[in-house]
Amino acid sequence: MTSAALAQPWRGLGARAPWAIAALALIAYAGFASPYELRVLAFAGTQVVLVLGYQFIFGHAGALSLAQGAFFGIGAYVTAVLGGRYGLGFLGTFPLSILIPLALAAIVAAPVLRLASHYFALATLGLAQLALLAAVNGGEFTGGALGLTGVPGIVLLGWTVPRGIAFAAVVWLVVAAGAWLSLRLTRGLTGRAYAVLRGDPLAASAIGLSEQHLRLAAFLLSAGYAGAAGALDAHILGVVSSETMAFSVMVACLAMTVIGGSTRLAGAFIGALLLTYLPEWLRSLEGYSLLAYGAALLLAIVLAPSGIAGAVAGTIAALGRVRRPVLPAPAELPEPQGPSGLPLLVVRGLAKRFGGIEALKGVDLTIDRGEILGVIGPNGSGKTTLANLVSGFVRPDGGTVILAGQSLTPLGASAIARAGIGRSFQHPALPPELSVLEMVALARASLSDDLGFRAALAGRDRGDRRERHEAEALHFLQVLDADGYARYPCNALPYRAAWRVEIARILALEPKLVILDEPAAGLNEAEQGELARSLRRLARRGLGLLVIEHNMPFLLPVADRVMVLDEGRVIASGKPEDIRRNPAVVAAYLGRRAGMS
Amino acid sequence: MTAFLQLAFNGLALGAAYALVALGFVLVLNATSAVNFAQGDLVMAGGYGAAALAALLPLPGLALLPLVMAAMAVLGLAVAALAYFPLMRRPASSVFISTIAVGLLLQNGALHLFGPEPRAAPPVLGGGQMHLGHVVLSYQSLAIVVIAAALVAGQRWLFAHTQLGRRMRATAQDREMAAALGIPVRTMIALTFALAAALAGASGALLSNQFFVTPTEGGALILKAYIAVVIGGWGSLEGAVLGALLIGVFETLVAAWFDYITAEALLYGVLLLILLGRPQGFYGEAAGRRA
Amino acid sequence: MRGRLLAIDVPGAALESASLAVAAGEVVALLGANGAGKSTLLRSIMGLEPARGGQRLAGEEIGALSPAQRARRGIGYVPEGRRLFPGMSVRDTLLVGSREGTAAAERRMSAVLELFPMLAERLMTPAWQLSGGQQQMLAIGRALMSEPKLLLLDEPSLGLAPVVVDELMLRLRGIAAGGAAVLLAEQSVARALEIADRVYALAMGRVVAEGTPAAMQASGVLERAFLGADAVSPARRPP
Repeated sequence: MTSAALAQPWRGLGARAPWAIAALALIAYAGFASPYELRVLAFAGTQVVLVLGYQFIFGHAGALSLAQGAFFGIGAYVTAVLGGRYGLGFLGTFPLSILIPLALAAIVAAPVLRLASHYFALATLGLAQLALLAAVNGGEFTGGALGLTGVPGIVLLGWTVPRGIAFAAVVWLVVAAGAWLSLRLTRGLTGRAYAVLRGDPLAASAIGLSEQHLRLAAFLLSAGYAGAAGALDAHILGVVSSETMAFSVMVACLAMTVIGGSTRLAGAFIGALLLTYLPEWLRSLEGYSLLAYGAALLLAIVLAPSGIAGAVAGTIAALGRVRRPVLPAPAELPEPQGPSGLPLLVVRGLAKRFGGIEALKGVDLTIDRGEILGVIGPNGSGKTTLANLVSGFVRPDGGTVILAGQSLTPLGASAIARAGIGRSFQHPALPPELSVLEMVALARASLSDDLGFRAALAGRDRGDRRERHEAEALHFLQVLDADGYARYPCNALPYRAAWRVEIARILALEPKLVILDEPAAGLNEAEQGELARSLRRLARRGLGLLVIEHNMPFLLPVADRVMVLDEGRVIASGKPEDIRRNPAVVAAYLGRRAGMS
Repeated sequence: MTAFLQLAFNGLALGAAYALVALGFVLVLNATSAVNFAQGDLVMAGGYGAAALAALLPLPGLALLPLVMAAMAVLGLAVAALAYFPLMRRPASSVFISTIAVGLLLQNGALHLFGPEPRAAPPVLGGGQMHLGHVVLSYQSLAIVVIAAALVAGQRWLFAHTQLGRRMRATAQDREMAAALGIPVRTMIALTFALAAALAGASGALLSNQFFVTPTEGGALILKAYIAVVIGGWGSLEGAVLGALLIGVFETLVAAWFDYITAEALLYGVLLLILLGRPQGFYGEAAGRRA
Repeated sequence: MRGRLLAIDVPGAALESASLAVAAGEVVALLGANGAGKSTLLRSIMGLEPARGGQRLAGEEIGALSPAQRARRGIGYVPEGRRLFPGMSVRDTLLVGSREGTAAAERRMSAVLELFPMLAERLMTPAWQLSGGQQQMLAIGRALMSEPKLLLLDEPSLGLAPVVVDELMLRLRGIAAGGAAVLLAEQSVARALEIADRVYALAMGRVVAEGTPAAMQASGVLERAFLGADAVSPARRPP
């Protein structure tokens, strides 16, 4: 529990009160419900589990999977086959109904997960169709088009859970377990990492998060939850057929998730319960329920893209009822006085061609510790390509990059970032729900093992650990005089403060070398002065800086050395004063052609 | 050999109808960078539209076809207005979901209006068949091939030789630049939806004579359109048509040798293999230089 | 100054404040390093970038108009990187920008092709197969098809060989002589000073100097703006 919650205990209770009331209401309702109503209640529970799972891949990872219905069906078939034919009890069938969809997801993940949006959606739909065909054509094994009957009820260690309230209780215990796990996995830093991922994968990699790992984990979890939901559904109905795997199951799941809210726990409950009970309440509309589904889904995606739960949370926030996060005390980290003059980065013969165009034709450069190297050159001269090659976002065709004695040439972008190269991005699309402090804290956490579902499960991505990362993040924001912006939403940062936060984020990753691409663009003179002072301060910490800039009045005073690129080649290199007098540079910038003026 | 030719011809007719679906799919994809998931359900709507019109007007299919296409174009405008324009500035997956919702509305609308029983539209010209050697060419299959070819050619002509077509192409390639040239881009996008729906409707009217139409067939059709577009290279119009023809022939041949289900399963298997090995498709360089 | 055709005052994110005016028949160059706000300024005149402040074209307030409406009011735009429609032929690229009937459009195309004869030989060639210089000519020709009163060009000389740039500049003078106002963003100071009637120097999103090329050369303002030759080092300035 945070110190803030300790100081005002009623606030923590305030957040939980609606949940406690809802749980009590549920128990009270179950006590008076008819057998039919209990059956519907149990079915609603399976839908909550299905949606809770779908929230991982669709809501948190932001990938439109159309295979969730198939995983649901597979879970149901596993229970039907193992329970009905081989007489396995619930304790055998239930875990296997979770594990088998999960394993199948792991198998297809490799080809499918690297696909981008439409490709991913339609490829998962193809997988779902394959699963459906397999079910229809499985002969005796799956019962063909008719399916399998005689799925036993829930049998726990020889005790058959009686239909009715006990059965509903078992289902809702699974719901509670699923909700608890979901909350545990997504409420800490890991959940925020997903917010960054779905906002902009590039921003995620800039913070040091691995897109592949996050997406894979979400996909596997969603498959496991779907399998559990399918297994419970099979127990309730006693029958499993290809209907269990039909596309309508998927569409219903999507509708429930979108309408309820795709990233909030309450959204899973609201969406699943609403769409399960709406047809029950509107009996007069019998047969029109799917029509209503379609209309509701369309309305929700157009009018309330974050679902009912999101809209409610937004309203509460607008009314000012959310507590403002209390800033931790900034961590006291020593300001390193780095050594200078020792070679840090050595680049030899770096070359890259795009199609027929040689963007970079064998560039050599060195940067010492504590040194600022400025790179200038006209548009298209290869400056940004140079930055992309050194930071690993583009693979070179030739040449070597050695950082502090380690060859980076074979490494990818995230490995190079870990090896100690930090890089600025011009306009990362960061999600609105993330504050500046949280974003920098995520970068800090990515250096530790306090991020990811394993960390979340062990409770390492919250509480004290999170506070420590936030305290350290605040320290780095302070170094850049940006601590005043700590609570700002990332996407609402004033233009003039963005560079401070961006450099703080890079510093938080403890790089050895920092690459900045046109940091002074759009800044006025006073701000350029501030930026220049910050850069010198970084150099004093022993960092090497590679600064790409067009703005000579800014760059020349701050750089120790300047390199001039033209058409992919170094045409001049030296001290700033010499560069300013260099005829080629003067010609490029002022148009005094040789012999003129 | 005769059996093979016969199957190939039947497959070609099926593929020609698929080609219209895929063409509409890729036109909208290019114009909006969004997947119109309802494209398959629009085919279904066209099939029902043709069947319903035939009950009102005792005309041959050929005379009904322009009416069906016109009505479907209006439906396409409605899809654009409901499911695309409100979401123009949102991530592309929003449109994917909104068109799933539109598909659901179309399916269940059809279910309530026409019931679950399969319906058939009247043949284009009438029953009957001709022989080419031992190969039987039914007039309906021939008509499908000829009409689909004419519609594909008509779309090509529209894009290549008319100012409207040029503007639709410009909008699809670079919306901002098109606007800077004074082109009303929203109108162009709406017209693209209308054209795509009209093509889907034609396909539905043609297919529903032989294969009947049921409310839920749209899902399989959208997947086939997608596979055609993946085979043909994402964004390529010619590739989509070619891919659709290949799918039609492939499906018919495999269904004859094994069964229909095996054909479907193999098709999805092939799709996954293509995505694994060559996501840019087999035809052209796809998005890089589409026209 | 002859009657103003365009008068704008655009504050924006990358653009602090820029006030400028262009008259018919005039070639005006915007000078400045990357990030100075040249592209943003041109895009906001075209309506592609939101901007506060007033923009008047031939006396009419156009600040609230969409890009397409501005194009129809007579603004032609040649964007950075040309942004041709890659699969389209030269002929289609020219015709697509026309808003007249077929016959009038063909006549206009002939006039444009007279200005750029090398395009006439390649009417059916897809745009992506043209050389860089030809692509630039085509991008300008496309903008000219609607007979704009004001032609905006964003870095038209980028990536072109010097001879091609010379020819391009000659054509721009011809277009201005025909009565259009030409406003071009140019990184190459030499080119801009050679061709322009007047020059605006942009730095940090502001117009820092304005005048004829000769006056700009003489004042030394360009050195200060672009090389910081005698500017006090920002790093050592007190906060």
